[in-house]
Amino acid sequence: MEVTYKVHREDPENGGESSFSTYQVDLPEDATVLDGLQKIRDEQDDTLAFRASCCQGTCGECAVRINWRAQFTCTTKIADVTKKGPEILCAPVRNIPVIKDLVFDMDKFTWDKMAAMKPWMEPEDEFAPTENLIPESEMADVRKTMSCYQCGLCDEGCAVLPVDFDFLGPGAMVKGYRFVMDPRETGARKEERLAVVEQPKGLWDCVHCYEANGKCARGLEPSSKIMEMRDVSFKHGIKNEKVARHHNSFINSVKQTGWLDERKLVMETEGLTNIGGLMKLVPTAVRAMTRGKMPGRHEKRPGADQIKRIIEKAEESK
Amino acid sequence: MPEYDVLVIGGGAAGLRAAIAAKRAGASVALLSKVHPLRTNSALSPGGINAPLGSDDSVQKFADDIMNAGDGLCNSEAVNALAAEAAREVVWLERVGVPFNRDADGRIDRRALGSGSVERAAYADDRTGHTVLHVLHEQFQRYDIPCFKEWFVTSLIQDAGACTGAVALDHRSGRIESFSAGAVILATGGFIQAYRPCTAAVGTTGDGLALGYDMGVGLADMEMVQFHPTVYNATRTALISEATLSAGARLVNAAGDTVVDAAGLSRAQLAAAVDKAGRNGGGPVSLDLRPVENLTSRFPGAAEVVRLMAGLDITQVPVPVQPVAHRAMGGLDANASGETSVAGLFAVGECAHSGVHGAGRMPGNTLTEAVVFGKRVGEAAAAHAKSAGARSASTDQAARDGGRLAEITSGGSSGDTMGTIHRELGEVMHANLGVTRSDAGLTEAQEKIRTLRERHGKLRVGNKSRIFNYALTSYIELGNMLKLAEAVALAARGRNESRGAHLRSDFPERDDTSWKAHTVVHQQDGAPKLDRKAVSA
Amino acid sequence: MKYAFYPGCVAKGGCPELYTAAVKVAEKLDIELEEMSDVACTGAGCMPTHLSDPINARTFAKAEQMGLPIMTICSTCQGVFSQANHRLQDAEYREEINREYLAEEGLSYQGTTEVKHMLWVLFEDLGVDKLKSLIQRPLEGLKVSPFYGCFLRRPGPIMVPTKEVGGRRGYLEDLTQLLGAENVDISGKTKCCGFPVLTANEESSLGMVAKHAGESKQNGADCMVTPCPLCHLNLDGNQPRAESLKGEKINLPIIHLPQLLGLALGFDADEMQLGKHIVSTKAVNDKVDMLT
Repeated sequence: MEVTYKVHREDPENGGESSFSTYQVDLPEDATVLDGLQKIRDEQDDTLAFRASCCQGTCGECAVRINWRAQFTCTTKIADVTKKGPEILCAPVRNIPVIKDLVFDMDKFTWDKMAAMKPWMEPEDEFAPTENLIPESEMADVRKTMSCYQCGLCDEGCAVLPVDFDFLGPGAMVKGYRFVMDPRETGARKEERLAVVEQPKGLWDCVHCYEANGKCARGLEPSSKIMEMRDVSFKHGIKNEKVARHHNSFINSVKQTGWLDERKLVMETEGLTNIGGLMKLVPTAVRAMTRGKMPGRHEKRPGADQIKRIIEKAEESK
Repeated sequence: MPEYDVLVIGGGAAGLRAAIAAKRAGASVALLSKVHPLRTNSALSPGGINAPLGSDDSVQKFADDIMNAGDGLCNSEAVNALAAEAAREVVWLERVGVPFNRDADGRIDRRALGSGSVERAAYADDRTGHTVLHVLHEQFQRYDIPCFKEWFVTSLIQDAGACTGAVALDHRSGRIESFSAGAVILATGGFIQAYRPCTAAVGTTGDGLALGYDMGVGLADMEMVQFHPTVYNATRTALISEATLSAGARLVNAAGDTVVDAAGLSRAQLAAAVDKAGRNGGGPVSLDLRPVENLTSRFPGAAEVVRLMAGLDITQVPVPVQPVAHRAMGGLDANASGETSVAGLFAVGECAHSGVHGAGRMPGNTLTEAVVFGKRVGEAAAAHAKSAGARSASTDQAARDGGRLAEITSGGSSGDTMGTIHRELGEVMHANLGVTRSDAGLTEAQEKIRTLRERHGKLRVGNKSRIFNYALTSYIELGNMLKLAEAVALAARGRNESRGAHLRSDFPERDDTSWKAHTVVHQQDGAPKLDRKAVSA
Repeated sequence: MKYAFYPGCVAKGGCPELYTAAVKVAEKLDIELEEMSDVACTGAGCMPTHLSDPINARTFAKAEQMGLPIMTICSTCQGVFSQANHRLQDAEYREEINREYLAEEGLSYQGTTEVKHMLWVLFEDLGVDKLKSLIQRPLEGLKVSPFYGCFLRRPGPIMVPTKEVGGRRGYLEDLTQLLGAENVDISGKTKCCGFPVLTANEESSLGMVAKHAGESKQNGADCMVTPCPLCHLNLDGNQPRAESLKGEKINLPIIHLPQLLGLALGFDADEMQLGKHIVSTKAVNDKVDMLT
């Protein structure tokens, strides 16, 4: 079938301006988007740069945006992306500096952030003669998590990265999860693992918008994994002080009255002795007051005692 | 000029393991790879990693099975090393993080791969290669080893007969640089991309074999090319682990009747049987996975890859399969420590021929080989580097390589293309150097390869850039594959017997009188020359 | 039509105008509300699930006793509820929570409570025809950017679980049009507003406010409408701070979903308490005034 490729171009040796090139390509019905790109490079334009490796959806090397949706060129069939018209648009994934055409900076995008997870084990008994004895039920989730390609599709969908490129992103968090949840990382090592994922620009910078869940080609639900790690972090004591104050204030408020005291939450989060932090809140508070928006007296709800009982019991359960 | 004790070329499982071992042995190490380590062909190995971990298993049994599968061409020193050190390596992998599937006692579970007599393959679902590769890369990062990724090696440096470094092109900056080293380890993988179809990643183009061959190292047993029996193949391929057969999957015809009984067959025999059944007029052979219990939880990778590449649901319909070129057993002639005939040049993994696989590799031994020999070769290279004298590597060679690249990129289109030549090469390799061969077919293949080499020699690349110029590197890769294809055809034509993966329709019997020997191809005056070499007992 | 009404903390605290508008609008639409006054905050994603699941199970059990589905007016409440309710469909888990936490109070959750955001109620229970029939003042000429935020649409398998409710991906646009207003699309309409990260990374949070509100303004919108009061707190309440961070004026009114609805149903700006917003809604008020 005859299709039209419209491919993003950017050449660092020629000013780095971005533009699009258009190619007509004749391909078999069951061809992939990658087949077409390879054919273009072979027959029409050998300056076109794009990455690929395994060609069977196994390695994660060929992520690009096809018709604005990020996916792998090697597993995307042209028939599936030309239903609305014969044009196939290929552009680099979002949130990431381009080096050339469809080749982008994986160092900044993924590898450096993965490395920030200190992604290796250093067991004391590394050279023990036999393996760790671990039930399959405790290993399965880690193994599934390790099927992560480290392709960057989840980062591509991240809501934080466009406003803060230093955010470590869901991909690195999934790598962190693999260690936080590994039954072989116990005791002090588990605490270290949590400290690593809770580093600035890490776990607590996620907005849990659940975008990443829908992006993962392996169905690993990165957003849910972040939330699971937050649950673990909570049980072990949140290591980010401001976040810890926020969460503790939140829970105390619900425990004491059944519902959230926003005013108290805002002040306790800053820290009641943190004068600078509290001063920053003043303009917002003044604006709210002049609009009659400041919450009134925070009344205890009926049922609050039951709510308190439940939360306290649940707190013991950890 | 960057200078290291040990320079590892290739970022797959064998290269990473070698780099870690060399570093632990006290050497300064760097790794060069034309793709990021996690994108290498090792990630594609699904089934498992063999080690005699079961209480019903032993080092001796493992060694015997390997010798048996190798059909008389195994070097016993290499086999014994593999069998003896496999368990320790697999246990180490578990200790440093591979989340292997567990048995009821919480130990590493084992399963049979294909017709393996014993349940011997440790596995991580059916993504074992992927998972092992990722953990090796984790450990590689732990040792803070410099990683020059997306650097393409253009030549090895030779000084007074020894290998003392390499020259490489950085895809990202376009810079050509010389690296000086006390020892160089080639861990660049096989050359299966010379076949179409094939199961390997696009970079599996035999670059390391060609580099060593150009330096005078012999290529051993190049005719021994393993075909994987259960591969879906259309415009793209999808490999399904043979472990599915041991788990109850059946090979059936269009009517659903079993056409091949896999029990007791070696991989080569199974490939031949599937190939034959496919030509018998009963329609294409399909792999019916539906009888496998807990299919999608045991084989999630197979379910995924077949869905993606074939658009089929393995829980609902049988998947058409055929034997597809999968794994080279031939490679750079090396001993069980990876040493080649050139001092300071080592080879490991699929690019190496240590004689461990003989004429037939047992499924599950690729990953075992990568880690066992990776460690051995990394340590041997570190020891060599310590004993080697002062090294010199001039920058002249980088300039010379720069000139060669400029020559390659001096042209425009001539009507012919690299893709066309690659496709024609792959087709003749599949047809004439495939599951069964004959003298007529091999002669035809030699002629075809010769004309393809000529056509390649006339081609030039129009893209003059050095930055992510994949046309340029593809040109070099295609040249490498053509050169190696010539050696494969020569060796295959020479071995007029049938043994292991090498089946000759005109010589159907094994001939131990003449051919209990390795073929070795050397390059002389630019032409391949065939010798034979005794199998070490 | 009757619901157990769960207004959430913010509608009773920082955004009282949302509560007022929702109650007035419901009455006009013949949606009977019985407010749940003795149940807990959902946890809003700030409480770990081992604390929030039990208190949410309690809320669901109470609604079950009332024999009513729950209606929320906050996407965050809705999202946390939906996820908790999803986990509580596991009978074993539910029984554990009943036994450990609810039994003492004589409660037991059977897993049958339905939880719906007001936006869903409009389309799935009330129906488009009924809604149309009640419009007294089509909002012709008003340019509105729908802003979903995160929790009404994701995680997809939980928030939009079946094809029958696939419309949830477009209710906000549908509603804006149905009310006679004009949709002004922005690229981030299903993205995060930034509120959840206000604590950990304020700059990032305010950056999102500037991005969404700025784009909407640039595309010519008179206002933005949101089904989530937390989005409102950030997009409206922190818009001045986002402006100073970026050094540019945005000045885009942010309207709660029931407020927009209320204007079309004939309420005036005062009744919908638009005056309580941080960013002045004058541009909206003026346009709406011209329509009457």
